[in-house]
Amino acid sequence: MDNVYALYKCRVLRTYELTDDVRLFLFRFENPEIAESWTFVPGQFVQLSIAGMGEVPISICSSPMRRGFFELCIKKAGRVTSKIFELKPGDIVGVRGPYGNGFPVDKFEGNDLLLIAAGIGMAPLRSVFTYALDNRWKFGNITVINSARFGKKLLFKKELEAMRDVAEAENIRIIQTVTRDPDWPGWVGRAQEHIRHANTKPEKSYVCVCGPPQIYTDVFNKLIEHGYDPRKIYVTLERRMKCGVGKCGHCIAGSSTFLKYICIDGPVFGYYDIISTPGLI
Amino acid sequence: MRYVKLTEEKLYDFLEKLKEYGKLYAPVKISDKFYDRKEIENVEDIAFEYVRTIMPAKKFFVPPKEKMFDIDIENGEYKENVENVEPFVLFGMHACEIVALRILDAIYMDEFADIYYASRRKAGIIIGLSCLPDEHCFCNLRRTDFVDIGFDLFLHELPDGYLIRVGSPKGHKIVDENPSLFTQVTQKDIDAFREFEEKRQKMFRCYGSFDNIRYLLELTMNDEFWDEEADKCLGCGNCTMTCPTCRCYDVQDIPSIDGKEAIRIRFWDSCQFRSHGLVAGGHNFRPTKKDRFLNRYVCKNSYFYPLGTSYCVGCGNCTYFCPAGIDFLGNLLKVRSVGEAEVKNG
Ligand SMILES: Cc1cc2nc3c(=O)[nH]c(=O)nc-3n(C[C@H](O)[C@H](O)[C@H](O)COP(=O)(O)OP(=O)(O)OC[C@H]3O[C@@H](n4cnc5c(N)ncnc54)[C@H](O)[C@@H]3O)c2cc1C
Ligand code: SF4
Ligand code: SF4
Ligand code: FES
Repeated sequence: MDNVYALYKCRVLRTYELTDDVRLFLFRFENPEIAESWTFVPGQFVQLSIAGMGEVPISICSSPMRRGFFELCIKKAGRVTSKIFELKPGDIVGVRGPYGNGFPVDKFEGNDLLLIAAGIGMAPLRSVFTYALDNRWKFGNITVINSARFGKKLLFKKELEAMRDVAEAENIRIIQTVTRDPDWPGWVGRAQEHIRHANTKPEKSYVCVCGPPQIYTDVFNKLIEHGYDPRKIYVTLERRMKCGVGKCGHCIAGSSTFLKYICIDGPVFGYYDIISTPGLI
Repeated sequence: MRYVKLTEEKLYDFLEKLKEYGKLYAPVKISDKFYDRKEIENVEDIAFEYVRTIMPAKKFFVPPKEKMFDIDIENGEYKENVENVEPFVLFGMHACEIVALRILDAIYMDEFADIYYASRRKAGIIIGLSCLPDEHCFCNLRRTDFVDIGFDLFLHELPDGYLIRVGSPKGHKIVDENPSLFTQVTQKDIDAFREFEEKRQKMFRCYGSFDNIRYLLELTMNDEFWDEEADKCLGCGNCTMTCPTCRCYDVQDIPSIDGKEAIRIRFWDSCQFRSHGLVAGGHNFRPTKKDRFLNRYVCKNSYFYPLGTSYCVGCGNCTYFCPAGIDFLGNLLKVRSVGEAEVKNG
């Protein structure tokens, strides 16, 4: 029997500052067989292990179409993530996964796609977005709303900015918006206030929302107000995680009639799951 | 199902024989009030009348603390520490404890199988034993008072011995290899078995259906009496440690002094501890004692799909071992029928 907690060796190829406290890491699997076979669904996460420090759950933020490589976008938040920030190209880390259900991207095909991110929430949505770009013909119009408090805190700001012109020609709309930055030349206001500027047709759109759970109710209300179908709205959730595989019990959430393991039943949940389960958000 | 009889005179021979199949563990009396499952030298030390042990049987499969990996920090190498577990026999497992093990089996082995658990589970031989409830038991309400699978042999007490149900190939093997220990079940034994079951069914604290409890609980979460109950709680975690199905664990890397090596260990954790829901940045998903108190009620009463039971098997350990005297069943009965908590019939 294989050990589910065993780690694959991965080499850091590149690190890149996204903001003052968020960094993008590009990894490659050391073992060529794993590199070739390892794949994932956008919205899934890995357990990243720093020997002698511990493991942390991190969403994969690249497209699964790129075999053997993957990217993680990591915010310096505490003990382990601070150690991760010391990594340099060439260093080795341990990785296991992918875990979680991920977004039902197969169902998304043939529909428009509205991605709404706040803060670090852009990480998993960037995976959905790049996946959709790699399979552009499978999707209709696409809008990405990327929000943060300040311009300098917007994740993937340059990457998204750089493709804005091409994007319009490809029926892709990019809205980068900030709430508290008077110097920001672009859109202002919270993410949900820009749902009305999306190029997606409400009746035939799938929506993915990722950000602090406090914004979810407000975003839901706005989406429904604009005619988006509640059955096609998905969010991702976060909890403390120790195992990622449904064993350690740390990520259990919900109520006595809907108890869920965020690590295996989630982290992606549908609108109706959320509203019928006290304690989930 | 295959049935055989073990007569009273052969009981100790049988227990002695079990040692040949693996290291024998069984409940023994360790003080006035308490029993624990210990390795057995002398089979006459075994306590048959015990209701509960201070540590549930999960300790044999999920030890309170275990090393998962030896880590070579410099080279980023992780060497797994999976023991080769020698066969062992757990004698005297009650029905609820066996269901509890099956719940752990489903958690640990159905999906993303856990090799540490599986290697111990494979080595364990489970010998069930019938029991009579005390005032904290409510396995009848949880429908875990009688178990169909998950044991190798199950002994049902008779006036002059035991009626044994044979539940697995290992169980058949034990019976086949020791024909002199067993006899055929007679009509008298069947009558005695029925009588025992009837007597037992009349001894529970409470009757009726408990399947709606998770909905009633959800609907009464804001009732004031939960504040009072949560106020009494010390947050000690005894309830989860002694629960046969609670299995939350934490993981930690412990580096050596020179920083070149480390071990990765996991150890029992409890949702009653503040740190359980704490994440980076200081946010806590269960910041108040009431959140943590209710979390256990929510978790234990929710539906466990693989088995069609709840996560709680109704053993009563959490009440028995609670230093604050919080009555788990009593609280659930309040939820079920506020005002007439002690519904007894039959
Ligand atoms: C499904 C999922 C996806 C995530 N994706 C990302 C991502 O793409 N980028 C990113 O920067 N962060 C992500 N996080 C959050 C990230 O896991 C935490 O910031 C990280 O665990 C903090 O660890 P630390 O040791 O630096 O912090 P400390 O506060 O020192 O935490 C100590 C330990 O507590 C646990 N822990 C603390 N915070 C969290 C948390 N929020 N979630 C889970 N466990 C926690 C970890 O086991 C950690 O090692 C994700 C979390 C989850 C659950
Ligand atoms: S054993 Fe009793 S006092 Fe201790 S945490 Fe559980 S309910 Fe609270
Ligand atoms: S919650 Fe209490 S009664 Fe239920 S299985 Fe756990 S210890 Fe036993
Ligand atoms: S992270 Fe361990 S059970 Fe979900």
